[in-house]
Amino acid sequence: MQASQSCYRVLLRMCPPDLRAEFGAEMEALFLGDLARARGVGKVRVWARAIADLLRHGLGARNDSWNRVRHTSAYVDYETGRFLMDTWRYDLRHALRMMFRQRGTTAIILLTLALAIGANTAVFSAVHTVLIRPLPYQQPESLVMLWEKREAEGVMKNSVSAADYLDWARLATSFTAMAAFNEITADLTGEGEPEKLPVGAVSPSFFEVFGIRPLHGRTFEAGEDVMGRHRVVVLGHAVWRQRFGGDAAAVGRTITLHGIPHQVVGVLPPDVAFPQGEPQLFLPLVLQAPNEPPSRVSHNFYVFARLKPGVSMSQARSEMDRIGKDLEQQYPQLSRGHGSHVTSLPEEITGPVERTLVVLMAAVGFILLIACINVTNLLLARAAGRRREMAVRSAIGASRGRLIRQVLVECGVIALAGGAAGLVLAVWCVRVLAAQLPAVARPDQTVVFSLPVMLFTLAACVLSGLLAGALPAWHMVREDPAEPLKEGGRGAVSLKRRLRFGLIVAEVALTSLLLVGAGLTLRSFQTVLSQDAGIETTDRLTFRLGLPGARYKGSEASFRFFSELESRLAAEPLIRAVGGTMLPPLTGLDGRRGVVIENREVGPDDGPTRAHPRVVTNNYLQAAGSRVREGRGFLPSDTATALPVAIVNETMAKRYWPGASAIGGRVRFTDQEAWREVVGIIGDVKHWGLDAPVNPELYVPTSQFPTFAQTFVLHANGNPLALVPIVQRHVRELDPNLPLFQVRTMEEVAARSVERRRWTMTLLAVFAVLALVLAAAGIYGVMAHLVALRTPEIGVRLTLGARPVAVMRQVLGEGAVQAAIGLAIGLGASLVVMQGLRSILFGVEPTDPLTLIVVGVSLMVVALVAVTVPALRAMRIDPVTALRAQ
Amino acid sequence: MAQDRDRLDRFLPLKPFVLDVLLELADGKRHGWSVIRDIQQREGGDRILPANFYRTLRALREDGLIAEAAGDASKDPNERRQYFSLTPLGAKVARAEVKRLESLVLDPRARRLLKVR
Repeated sequence: MQASQSCYRVLLRMCPPDLRAEFGAEMEALFLGDLARARGVGKVRVWARAIADLLRHGLGARNDSWNRVRHTSAYVDYETGRFLMDTWRYDLRHALRMMFRQRGTTAIILLTLALAIGANTAVFSAVHTVLIRPLPYQQPESLVMLWEKREAEGVMKNSVSAADYLDWARLATSFTAMAAFNEITADLTGEGEPEKLPVGAVSPSFFEVFGIRPLHGRTFEAGEDVMGRHRVVVLGHAVWRQRFGGDAAAVGRTITLHGIPHQVVGVLPPDVAFPQGEPQLFLPLVLQAPNEPPSRVSHNFYVFARLKPGVSMSQARSEMDRIGKDLEQQYPQLSRGHGSHVTSLPEEITGPVERTLVVLMAAVGFILLIACINVTNLLLARAAGRRREMAVRSAIGASRGRLIRQVLVECGVIALAGGAAGLVLAVWCVRVLAAQLPAVARPDQTVVFSLPVMLFTLAACVLSGLLAGALPAWHMVREDPAEPLKEGGRGAVSLKRRLRFGLIVAEVALTSLLLVGAGLTLRSFQTVLSQDAGIETTDRLTFRLGLPGARYKGSEASFRFFSELESRLAAEPLIRAVGGTMLPPLTGLDGRRGVVIENREVGPDDGPTRAHPRVVTNNYLQAAGSRVREGRGFLPSDTATALPVAIVNETMAKRYWPGASAIGGRVRFTDQEAWREVVGIIGDVKHWGLDAPVNPELYVPTSQFPTFAQTFVLHANGNPLALVPIVQRHVRELDPNLPLFQVRTMEEVAARSVERRRWTMTLLAVFAVLALVLAAAGIYGVMAHLVALRTPEIGVRLTLGARPVAVMRQVLGEGAVQAAIGLAIGLGASLVVMQGLRSILFGVEPTDPLTLIVVGVSLMVVALVAVTVPALRAMRIDPVTALRAQ
Repeated sequence: MAQDRDRLDRFLPLKPFVLDVLLELADGKRHGWSVIRDIQQREGGDRILPANFYRTLRALREDGLIAEAAGDASKDPNERRQYFSLTPLGAKVARAEVKRLESLVLDPRARRLLKVR
C-alpha cells in the first residue's frame, strides 16, 4: 500500500500545484479506496484508469486558468493564442495518427532509429565517463605526472629512480607538491583471515597532491618517510569498514603488516580512486635510509605533482629540463642523457583510450547518418502517397510554412519515439559495455547514465528528426502544389529519383567506410593474435607468491622456499614442468637496468646500455616453452657458487653483439661487480603484450640473483586449472600464512593483453554489421518504391513487347550502378579517413588492399541481393493489372 | 434580465457530468468527497475519476456556479474537507438545463419513445 501511495503521489504532480494543494489528499484517498476494493487484475485497471485520468485531466487542468474549461458540450470560440496552441496540438495529433495508421512503416522507422540512437547513447556514455567527466580530484587540470626521459633512446616515460625524485622534489619550484608512488603488496594478518592487499607506498605529500583529506585522523606527515618513523599506515575506506567495522576509534590502533605492527594514523573517505592500481592501504615510501644513499639506477616510481597556480605546463617543462641538465652535469656517469618529462595527468589517464573511443564515436555517428538516410527514404516514400493530401490542404489555404511545420513535427515525434526506444536499448547496451570495457586507467570508472548522456540522446533525437525530415520538407516546398492534383501527374518523379539515388550512393559510401574500419581492426587483431608470443600459452597455469620479508629473512631463505616448492610441484604427475620468474610475460610487469657489455665501445652519442632483467629459475624456460636459439638454457649446475651466467634474447644479442655471436660474451649490471657469461640466446618473448615491441632482455638464474616474489609457470598434463588445488595444498604445507594470487592460465594472461583491442574490434564489427543491414534495408526500400512508382510504365513497356528479363536487368542495373558509385566514393574516402585509424592498427596499412577488396565485394553482393527482390517484382508485373490500375 | 439570460445561455447545454455535480449540490452544501462517491454509485462504477472531478469543481467555482461553504467545524475540528454549495447563478443554470432536458423529454416524439418501451 505504501508503494502505491507514493507512486500515486508522484503521478499527482501532473496536476497544477494549486489543484494538488487543495484536493490532492482527497484524490489520493479516493484512489486508494478504489484500489483497496479492487481485486486481482482489477487493480491493474484501477491503476491504468488513474494514470489516464491524471494524464488527461491533471495535465489538462494546467491550461484551465487561461484556457477556460467549457461546461458546455460544444464550443467553437477560438482566441488567437489559443489557435496557435491548437495548431501545434493538431499537428501532434495528426503525427500520432499517421504513425498509427501506417504501423508497418512506423515500426521499421522506429526500429532503425532505436538501433542508431541506442548505439550512439551507449558509446557516448562511455565517452562521457572516460573522456568528458572531470577526474575525481580537486582541480584535476593542474595535476601532472613526471617521468624520466631519455630522448636519445626514444624513451619518454620511464619510471623514476628514488634519487632523481628526491632531487626533483628538492629543486623544482613549479609545483605546490610532488609525490612518488609505488604499488606494492602487504600481508595483513592478525584479526581475521590473512590477506594480501595491494598497497600504495607513497611520499607524505601524496594526499596533498591529489587534494584528498582523511575521513578520520590524518595522512602522513613530513618525516614519516624516514627509516625508523615509517611504521604508520593510512587505511582505505574499504579495509577500515571490513577490519574495524567503520569505527572511528581505529585511528591510533595497530595492524600487523608482514608480521610487523603498524600504527593506524588515518582513514580515507569512500570513493577515492588513484591513477595507479587500487591500493587498499597506504604506507610511507621510505627513500632515505641512514647508511644507504637513494638509488639512481633502479627506476621504480611514479611521480605525481600539482602545478602551482599560474604556472603553465611549458614553464614547468622548461624548469624540469633545466634541473635535468644540472643533474646530468652533477652525475655524468649515472644521469647521462636523463631528463624529466612532465605530462598532464588527465591526458595520461584518458590518452590510451581516447583514440579508440573517438573512432567508435565516429562509427556510431555514421550509423546515425545511415539510419537518418533510411528514415528519409521511408518518409519520402510516404510523402509520395500523401502528395494529394498536402496539395488539397494547400489548395484550401494552408500555408507552406504550416505544411513544412507539420512534416517536421511528424519527424520530431517519430525521432523522439525512436529515441525513447533507443534509450531502452542503450540501458542494456551500457550494461554490456560497462562489463566489457577494458580496465582503462580511469580510476573511478563506472559507465553510467547521467544527465549529460540523456541530453545527448535528446540532441541525437532532435538532430535525426531534423536530418530525416529536412529533405521531405524541402521537397514539398519545391513542388508545385497543383501538380499532384492533375490526373495521373507524375512530373516530380524524375527529380525524386535523382534525389533517391543520391541517398543510395551516400548510404553505400558511409557503410563502406564503416566496413573498411571494422575490416582493418579485424585484420589487426588477427595479426596480433598470430604473433609468436615466444612462449607457449596452452596448458600453462601461472600464479604469484610473495614472501614477507619479516618471516623470510635474507635471500637464502626465500631461495630455499621457492626451490622446495618447485621441486615438490615438479614431482606431481599432473605437472610436466615447473618454473618461476620474477616478471611474468605478457603482463607489462617490468624492470630495467643499466648493463655493461664487455669489449663494447660506447660512443658519445650512444644512449646508456640497458637491458630488462628476467630472473628465472633453472626450469623456467622449459616450463614456459621458450625456445633456445643458440647455446643452452640454465642448468642445475648454475648454482650460486658456480660461474655467473646469463641468457639474452635475440633482440639483445643483435643490438649489443652486432655481427658476432653473443655466446661467450660477458655482461654485468652497472651496479654489480661480477661479470656474467652469456651461455644462450632465446627467441624474443612478447613481454609487453602481443602487439608491443620487444626490448633487450637479460635472463639470469634465481640461484645467482634471489628474489622475494615469483610468478610460477606450470606446464600441465591436460587442464591447467586442475592444478590449482594441488598448488594450494603444497603451498599450505610449506607456509599456511601465504596467500596465492593472480592465479590464471597463460591463455587468460594472453587474452588480457589484447583485451582493449578485442573490445574495439568487437564493437566495430557489430556496428559494421548493423550498418550493412541498415544499408541493405535502405537500398531495398528505395528500389522497391521506385519499382512501385514505375509499375504503370513497366506495364506499358511489357505490353509493347519488352522482355521481362530486360526489365529486370534494367532495375538491377540501376541499383548496381548506384551502389558501385557509392562504393567507389566510400573506398576512395576510406584511403584518407582510415589514416586516422593508424594508431589503433597493428601490422596492417590503412590502405590494406585485401580489406578494401573484401569490403567492396561483400558490400556489392549485399547491394545486389537487396536490389534483386524489387527487380524480380518488376519482371513479374502483370501488364494487364498494371494498366487497369491507371 | 436580458443580460442574465445571455449568461445562462453561455453555459448551456451542460455536460451531463457537470449537471450531475450541480444536482448533487442542489440539496444543500456537501463536500467534494461525498459528491463524487454518490455520482460514482449512481452512475454504476468509477466512470468519474478524481482528477477530472476536482478539475471540474475548480472550474465551476471559478465560473461562479458553485462556492465554498463553511464546514461544520463543531462536529469535527480536524475536518479539513471543503464544503461546496450552489450559488444563485449555479442554481439558475441547473434549473435552465433541467428545463431544457424536460422540454426535450416532454416533446411528443420523445414520449412516443417512452410509450414504445
